[in-house]
Amino acid sequence: MSESVSSSRRTLFKRMAEIIGGLAVWRQVRPALAQQAVSPETGPQIVRVMRPYDAETPVREFTSYVTPNHRFFVRSHFGPPAPELIAEANWRLHVGGLIEHPLELTLTDLKEFERVTITAVVQCSGNGRAFHRPKVPGVQWERGAVGNAQWTGVRLRDVLAKAGIRPSAKHVQLQGADRPVVSSVPLFTRSIPLEKAVHPDTILAYEMNGRPLPLLHGAPLRVITPGWMADSCTKWLTEITVQTDEAKGYYMQTAYRVPVTAIQPNSGLPGTSMVPVEAMVVKSLIASPANGDQVGWGPVTVQGVAWSGEASVAAVELSFDDGKTWEQARLVGEDEPYAWRQWQFLWKPAAAGAVTILCRATDASGQVQPQESPWNPSGFLWNGWDRVSVMVQI
Amino acid sequence: MMIVRTSAIIGAVLLAVAGLAVLTAAQEDDLASVSAALAPRAEGLIVARCSVCHSPDLVAQQRLPKDRWLATVEKMKHWGAEIADDEAELLVRYLSARYHPAAPDQLPPVDSELRKAEPLTQEPADAGPLVGVATRGAGIFEHNCQACHGAGATGGMGPKLAKNPILKHDDLFWETVLHGRGPMPAWGSVLSQQDIADIHTWLLTK
Repeated sequence: MSESVSSSRRTLFKRMAEIIGGLAVWRQVRPALAQQAVSPETGPQIVRVMRPYDAETPVREFTSYVTPNHRFFVRSHFGPPAPELIAEANWRLHVGGLIEHPLELTLTDLKEFERVTITAVVQCSGNGRAFHRPKVPGVQWERGAVGNAQWTGVRLRDVLAKAGIRPSAKHVQLQGADRPVVSSVPLFTRSIPLEKAVHPDTILAYEMNGRPLPLLHGAPLRVITPGWMADSCTKWLTEITVQTDEAKGYYMQTAYRVPVTAIQPNSGLPGTSMVPVEAMVVKSLIASPANGDQVGWGPVTVQGVAWSGEASVAAVELSFDDGKTWEQARLVGEDEPYAWRQWQFLWKPAAAGAVTILCRATDASGQVQPQESPWNPSGFLWNGWDRVSVMVQI
Repeated sequence: MMIVRTSAIIGAVLLAVAGLAVLTAAQEDDLASVSAALAPRAEGLIVARCSVCHSPDLVAQQRLPKDRWLATVEKMKHWGAEIADDEAELLVRYLSARYHPAAPDQLPPVDSELRKAEPLTQEPADAGPLVGVATRGAGIFEHNCQACHGAGATGGMGPKLAKNPILKHDDLFWETVLHGRGPMPAWGSVLSQQDIADIHTWLLTK
């Protein structure tokens, strides 16, 4: 107790000395020196796997509402298909299965459907996998396998309506043109339930942030299932098959599943009842300051983003005392259904030294971001409190 | 008082958790020596068998117990990785010794010089000029190179090698195969000099 009083007196004295000496430069946040030098966090992306290329966005990019295409996280199982397969002259979208009229569409045909634009968060199901304990196998994503972009394309329901959905249809299978190096590896074949497929906000996107869809993001066409994790957002889409059952094969029947109820770490394999990863869970991230930053004595703007799957963000709270007390951040900026919400908090550090800032979000359905997410064998859906450690220099 | 008690409890819990997760120093040493001993062969196998589909960085970021490494290697075999039974056993031993759950995030690098220095098959120093055997080369190519360079060396993810000008530049060809180039991994610890000569001879017939 007495120590903190004397430290704040010392602080006050030091501040006055600085002001008198003309040294009080308005320095809010100084990036960590280590990051300026060699840390991958200063690059456009943090590469997790060189081939096939998997990379996440440095979280500092999330001070902007829309994540730029060249910084947007990249994930696929096999990398982009051979260029000739998706060249506009060769590329076709085939619609088949339980429909009245099979379709074969060129990109020009597709663009005749009504053009719609939706701003939506796209997030890898394994985002934050590296934080699960015990550790689980897979790409060790930390915080940046997520982004918010403007997607433009056509409604999947419009395309399906033209084909004519038969009454027995229950699922819509999605297949891209990407292929494994070795043909014995299963294809990345996915499906979504018919209700999600015919939801008016589920689209086939050919533009990303006003530009033609980049190759790494699924050119020329990808699925966007707003509110759902990105394993449903098939890239390089070439085949849509309407059917009674979920897609067969590893990537639907085995991968991208979580236990129905919470299980003990390192248990539950096999035999546990597993369901596909679908909607996103409520989550927030601190975009600034960054881990390791030095912050000055002036008020510090703490800012970031928050989102949830199928509900809007109701609140974002910050804690500076390991979660004992929480303070409300201010929700700012655009408020769109499937996009993330930006938030800000004006923080006045009380004393010099290391501080860990925690943040958690609550959505309109009452879902609260937990301290840690339930463990699951593949490390999906991490949404534990976000944390950033800074050094306050007074 | 309350604070003191709470922090004592937290401390006790932390110690208990640490006790579960951290290996004893003796166990650590043991794993480190196993991984060092197996590294030259195992790292070569990772390049040869695993990096056909994915770069080795995916392997190196995992921290898994032995049973999950075993399951992973089995899964990859099932998916078509050409891993012989003895190779699988060695890989599981190596991976679970080097990339175990208590291993630090940043591991000291595998000594790459050591890897380059130890090809799987040692050639006698006075073997004289190597003479490649095309029929052998075809099989070695199929097992090791075809996944990237395509059947008949007609190209795939990697460049077409049939009639590729590099075949006329022995030094460049050997340098590329032994030490890798761009996305192509180094094969110096996987293929013997005779293997490489056989592949080269076979490629010239394509």
